[in-house]
Amino acid sequence: MGTTATAYLTGFGRYLPGDPVENDGIAARLGGDDAVTERIRRRILEMNGIRQRHYALDEHGEPTELNEELAVKALRAALDDRGIDAADLRMLACATTMGDALVPGFASMVHGRLGGGPMQLLSASGVCASSLAALDAAAAKIRLGDHPRAAVVGSELASRSLRQLRFDGIRAGMDSHFLRWMLSDGAGAVVLEFQPHPSRPSLRLDWVRHVSLAHEHDVCMRSGMAGAEPSAGATWQDVGIADAEAAGMFVLRQDVSMLDELAEAGLRQFEELVDIGLVDVRHLDHVVCHYSTNAFRDLAFDGLRRRIPTLDTERWFSNLETRGNTGSASIFIALEEAWRTGRFAPGETVLLAVPESGRFSFAFAHLTVVAPPNQQGAPT
Amino acid sequence: MTDTTTDTTTATTIAATSAADAPLAGADTGARTLADRLAEVWIELEERLEHVPVLRRLADGTVTIDDYQRLLFNLRQQVVDGSPWISRAASNFDIDHFELRSAAIRHAEEEHRDYLMIERDYVAIGGSLDELRGGRKNVGSEALSGYMFTYADRPNPVGLLGAMFIIEGLGAKRAAGWAARFQEVLGLADNQVHFMQYHQEADSEHTGDLEAILTSGIIDDAAADEIVRCAQVVARLYALQLEELDR
Repeated sequence: MGTTATAYLTGFGRYLPGDPVENDGIAARLGGDDAVTERIRRRILEMNGIRQRHYALDEHGEPTELNEELAVKALRAALDDRGIDAADLRMLACATTMGDALVPGFASMVHGRLGGGPMQLLSASGVCASSLAALDAAAAKIRLGDHPRAAVVGSELASRSLRQLRFDGIRAGMDSHFLRWMLSDGAGAVVLEFQPHPSRPSLRLDWVRHVSLAHEHDVCMRSGMAGAEPSAGATWQDVGIADAEAAGMFVLRQDVSMLDELAEAGLRQFEELVDIGLVDVRHLDHVVCHYSTNAFRDLAFDGLRRRIPTLDTERWFSNLETRGNTGSASIFIALEEAWRTGRFAPGETVLLAVPESGRFSFAFAHLTVVAPPNQQGAPT
Repeated sequence: MTDTTTDTTTATTIAATSAADAPLAGADTGARTLADRLAEVWIELEERLEHVPVLRRLADGTVTIDDYQRLLFNLRQQVVDGSPWISRAASNFDIDHFELRSAAIRHAEEEHRDYLMIERDYVAIGGSLDELRGGRKNVGSEALSGYMFTYADRPNPVGLLGAMFIIEGLGAKRAAGWAARFQEVLGLADNQVHFMQYHQEADSEHTGDLEAILTSGIIDDAAADEIVRCAQVVARLYALQLEELDR
């Protein structure tokens, strides 16, 4: 009992602030131009393979935009791409690691800036996989027939946590350097509807699956607490702000020793999708995978190829090297570019894969390219 | 998906039920004749509906989301008048027609929030509530609504049972099939077809009530003629309303 509608991705947008910053332009914005830092940075950049990224910082490292502004610009681009207005939306789901303010919710700020009419909001927090959590929530409401149109945006302004200001006087180990020379800013957005685009192909959202393994893994990526275990009275909200800063609590950190385990867990999640039949490897045409660094690209690619022997680089897409790692925005920024550059043809399927190191979350989404209704054999 | 082939069998089902149904057939010869005569009106309506463009596109599978939205828009403008004309009729039944007055009051109460379902469906597929509420009746709806109100103004407007036969019959026998077919062709959720789905249940109850009245012995030959005539007019005007979308 109960018939549901189908959710289609019908508009795609992205916003990358400022000009692309090459590797030799990073220090001017984020600092860290001493010899030791310089050496570490070079090594990490070699590992992650990122050649260009964007920062919402000027050439002196001063912030130029808010995270909510990045989100709104990506949303406007997606709405323009679809040819609709913010007033046509009934729901807005926003994913970000950290909004600009502590309160209110990020989505409230984005809606306030975007405008449009009354709508349902969702602020999905977390890290990279919050993007697909937001997508899933919006798609569920579309499927229920509660809303005809929704927009989803992932946006990040990580650079403000990576500036020298946050590192002065802090003992920064690999756990902070790794992210400092990897993360950057940007936003990606999609429009979701209960009908396909009337005159262009759309991406039908077949399913979203989001699994957390936090029950069996420690914290991998963190900010706001002194170690991997938070304790009452000792988080950044409990101690003095100066003490929190001195303890390096405002620095984003990642336990890099856990990353191999993360990659393995992600591949097991993919294997499970194949085992339970959610992914039919004979009919999987494209993979758009978010990974933080090229070091994991080959690992993931080889892992997938074990189950999809025909997977070649033509069907594998990532724009990490040129757009940087933008956290929750990454998957939408990659999807937008893959879509816009015509990689997908009607009838083909696409798997989105987003591992999140935070505390081991894995999100996948399966899409099918559908032709506009008047080319599906049903005359208008 | 729900079976949508009921369209073609509905008329024969009604005719067969009318003829074979023991209480209705056995009550008196007048009621039996009335049932047969109403079944004929129904068959004629079914034939006409087959040629209504939007319903033909629905059957063909070429109907668009815009078609569904326009249909809801047009229906809403007339459905808001449904309860008022029934109430007006109720107030014109004298004490000798107490049962009909009672039934009309009950019926008006049950229907007076129906248009809200259309409004929810309309918004759920992306329509603007303000535009919907600011809309006007199409020429068919104008004629239908005008006729109903005028008829309801008569003393003891018994003929309106014929109007009920048509309108409730469409709800009970056709609406759910339309809903299922719209869902099938356009991929709509249940939440987007409340109005048409709901009427299958609600109007089946109403048509049951209607049968009880028609077999109660209070319908004389003159009233039967009135009922058939009213059914003919309403059948034609209802189809006109569906033909004249947005005009």
